[in-house]
Amino acid sequence: MKILVVEDNERMARFLTKGLKEAGHTTDHAENGRDGLFLAVSERYDAIIMDRMLPGNIDGLAIIAALRKADNHTPILILSALGDVDERIRGLRTGGDDYLTKPFAFGELLARIDVLSRRVRQDAAQTTLEVADLRIDLLARKVWRGARAIQLQPREFKLLEYLMRHAGQVVTRTMLLENVWDYHFDPETNVVDVHISKLRQKIDTDAEHQLLRTVRNAGYMISAEAPPAVGTG
Amino acid sequence: MSRVIRSSAATFAAGYILLGFAALVLFAAPLRYAWQATIEDFRFELLQEDSQRLTHVFELRGPAGLRSFIEERVGMQIAGERMLSFSGPGGRPLAGNLRSWPSSVPTLAGSYTLPVVLGGKRKMVALVLTALPGGYHLLVGRDVDRFKPIERRFWYGLAAAVGVLTVAGVLGALLIRRALLARIQSTQQTVAAIMRGDLSHRLKVRSSGDELDTLAQTINRLLEQIEQLVHGTANVSNSIAHDLRTPLAELRSRLEELALTRPAAEETFAEIDAALADVDGVIRIFNALLRLAEIDAGLRRSNFVETDVVELVSRAVEFYLPAAELKGLTLSFRDPGAVAARCDPVLLAQAVNNLIDNSLKFVAAGGHIELAVTRPSYDSVAVAVADDGPGIPQADMPRAAQRFFRGDASRGTPGVGLGLSLVEAIAKLHGGALTLADNHPGLRAQMTIERGATVPTAAPEPPRTDPDQPRRGVEITA
Repeated sequence: MKILVVEDNERMARFLTKGLKEAGHTTDHAENGRDGLFLAVSERYDAIIMDRMLPGNIDGLAIIAALRKADNHTPILILSALGDVDERIRGLRTGGDDYLTKPFAFGELLARIDVLSRRVRQDAAQTTLEVADLRIDLLARKVWRGARAIQLQPREFKLLEYLMRHAGQVVTRTMLLENVWDYHFDPETNVVDVHISKLRQKIDTDAEHQLLRTVRNAGYMISAEAPPAVGTG
Repeated sequence: MSRVIRSSAATFAAGYILLGFAALVLFAAPLRYAWQATIEDFRFELLQEDSQRLTHVFELRGPAGLRSFIEERVGMQIAGERMLSFSGPGGRPLAGNLRSWPSSVPTLAGSYTLPVVLGGKRKMVALVLTALPGGYHLLVGRDVDRFKPIERRFWYGLAAAVGVLTVAGVLGALLIRRALLARIQSTQQTVAAIMRGDLSHRLKVRSSGDELDTLAQTINRLLEQIEQLVHGTANVSNSIAHDLRTPLAELRSRLEELALTRPAAEETFAEIDAALADVDGVIRIFNALLRLAEIDAGLRRSNFVETDVVELVSRAVEFYLPAAELKGLTLSFRDPGAVAARCDPVLLAQAVNNLIDNSLKFVAAGGHIELAVTRPSYDSVAVAVADDGPGIPQADMPRAAQRFFRGDASRGTPGVGLGLSLVEAIAKLHGGALTLADNHPGLRAQMTIERGATVPTAAPEPPRTDPDQPRRGVEITA
């Protein structure tokens, strides 16, 4: 994927571009708002990582507003040290697709960029999702592993649905908290892990192939393929 | 500062006295006018009557008759202080107690008040001049100065009133000034003490409940809030210093050791992972502190929306159920039917989750955690989390919600000691409070919030008992 990084802090920019390159992406880097806006409108990107406070007269939000006004719908992840709820809301209202507060874990950023860039391609009218022999019917709210029907509670179904919609992508705990439970804080105990292991018990027991995997230092992934080398740890 | 007060008190006193004078003048001026007008009217009326009587005598008995009548009256002293003069044609005096016709008296009939020289003395005289048939003139007059003593008494009275007013005004002003000064000075002393850094001082409030007391009470509330904020900040600074220093020290030593020993790659990576975990811990503390600060500042009130508290609690219970099962605990909640409240759902969910999280950490296997949503009053909702864990020692109860407080029981458990302070701050933001009580055994934490200006609804739904109905709440499991 081709990703534009708009970030004025040199070290942060180097860290981002290096990490993204290692994950198999190509990157462009702009260190101020003007260059950022220029690159964003003149090139095609799969995703943009946007800092908010930039030197020059154009800040991150202004770039986003300009892009959206010009009918450019490139997925944008706002990466900012401004972490207040109000700031976050403002960022998303301006047209950002996701908001990550500095400091952050690179795994979290990578997972979110992955999800963002693929969201565009997703077919909203899908009624069934399949990963290997795991199949869920979104309308009937039913789940099968091969021929075996699996009983899931509503929230477990939602959790599985989210994981399957992002099959092959790493999904972090925070992403699950936000999207499955709509919780915007970190519980102190490992509640999400417990939910995942319960779900794993239901879908992966008695199966020779483990579909729901834990990705070290990052999160979880449902995938039919063998584990790729993901993660930064 | 005190000079300003003194001069403003003096100005106040002067103004007070001036106002008194103005009122007195406004009161006395019409009075004096009315009094004078009445006396003058009365005086002329008497003279007119006199003059008519004498005219009558003249008509009946002629000039000679009137002359002898007047002479008789003057001789018998009946005339009193009255001036009488009867003159013939050409102004020749015929009778009366005036030796000569006063030169200043006009010749036309009418009523006059004018100065007349009598016996070498110049006097103000009120007189009525009547023209009689045949060129005769009759003059009846009265010395105005006769009323001078009465007038003088009026002025004396007024002067006395002015004196009394001045004394009362000065005294009153002094008393008011003293009272004001005393209270302002006490306020000033308190403020000065606070400025020196002792925030525990409060303004004196008397029971009179007047405006100054209301002001003092308001200021005291302000001070209370400031003191809490300052203490909060100080506590947080101390706690940050303490709680961040520990992980930072660990992190530093870990990195330093890496730099010094340069171990094998495998070990280095493990150490780096551990260092990252240290940093994440520090970030978590920071995030919790920032959120606390955000809540304390009251900035989040704009996010209040109508929310079903029961549903919110149901979801939190459902969220924690697998974790509770794993630990061998029962987590239960009986759905009492929807209870709407205006709140920040994100924060309220965090508060409820923190309470469950807290119980989950301390209750041992086989224990119970029970949630309940009640309505202590029409305007409030209470979410209670009761467990049969180790609880909090009575002595620690008041401190439990303090920032970074970690009781003995919490040693070795995850967390940074901000959970209950967050709950308390969130409850406060919602106009409520967090109360901790002994659950015999265990802890009963109850968070009360105001329901806010909700859309008035009918009585709360009765609890669902039909087993076929979908249930939002979760009943005892595990």
